[in-house]
Amino acid sequence: MISFQRNQIVGAEFIDDKTIRFNGIQEDHIYGMEISMDVRIDDGKILKIQGNMKRYTNFVCPQAVPVLQTAVGLSLREAGWDKQVMREIGRKGCEHFAEIVIECGRCLDPAVMSRDLGLALKQDPGLNQEEYLAHWTAGKK
Amino acid sequence: MTLKFLRNKVVEVKARPEGDLVVSWRLTDDLFKAEVELIVQPPDLEIIEADARLERFIPLSCRDASEQIKKVEGVSIGSGLRKIVAGLLGGADGCAILVDAVLESSNAVILHFTRPGIEMGESTTDPDEKLVGLREMIKLNPRLVRSCIAFQDDSPIMKGLDI
Repeated sequence: MISFQRNQIVGAEFIDDKTIRFNGIQEDHIYGMEISMDVRIDDGKILKIQGNMKRYTNFVCPQAVPVLQTAVGLSLREAGWDKQVMREIGRKGCEHFAEIVIECGRCLDPAVMSRDLGLALKQDPGLNQEEYLAHWTAGKK
Repeated sequence: MTLKFLRNKVVEVKARPEGDLVVSWRLTDDLFKAEVELIVQPPDLEIIEADARLERFIPLSCRDASEQIKKVEGVSIGSGLRKIVAGLLGGADGCAILVDAVLESSNAVILHFTRPGIEMGESTTDPDEKLVGLREMIKLNPRLVRSCIAFQDDSPIMKGLDI
């Protein structure tokens, strides 16, 4: 029998050309958290964040919800952004909120890549996808 | 509005009858698919076996993932793990996905051991008894101190605890 399971689901929608909205869910045997955050694509800055703590382990945990606002202005393109999220949102708030914010952050480039590949395939269904993504990635470096 | 990208991740822990833990970590999204399996042996929580399989658009630095992952065999889940795994699998030429997979799998092992204690705390509805239980948990796990808002010095849970 499975004694512990954690699921993370992150969806990315482009609310306009410059902004991406991540909806992240983390559900496991102990905790249940949800995050919605808007991120500016160019500089990776978190513009807006909301969280919902559904299941937690003690009466102090919900005080971590307002701590999420310290993420506004943080750039997901800065070196060490994930450590900063863990320090500011995790240690001073809730580690499990930080975990799902980090997973949303990790999805920034793949989401833009996925959107761009989708658009490119509409124009050229025979596109060499591996090659396209290699170019896309090289352009990011 | 439709999604342009969707990622699903799951990590699960299962105890074998002989006591070893099987940890299965899987990721699938629009571009990428990865599966990592670790066999962890108590009581030292040593990773005795590690396997990885990556599919679809595999980053260049992860092309040898099934060989790279073998580097964590012999590593124990415990203090300093983050640094050890980053040293073995990370860095400029490393595979960040494998680093995440191993650390998240290790975290799941810790939560596998944490779950029964939390369930025990749910056996009472009395707030005072709950508080006593939480304080006992902190005493037994001092690593939790200042790990989150609930265990900061000014939290009501920490009142009276000299840790």
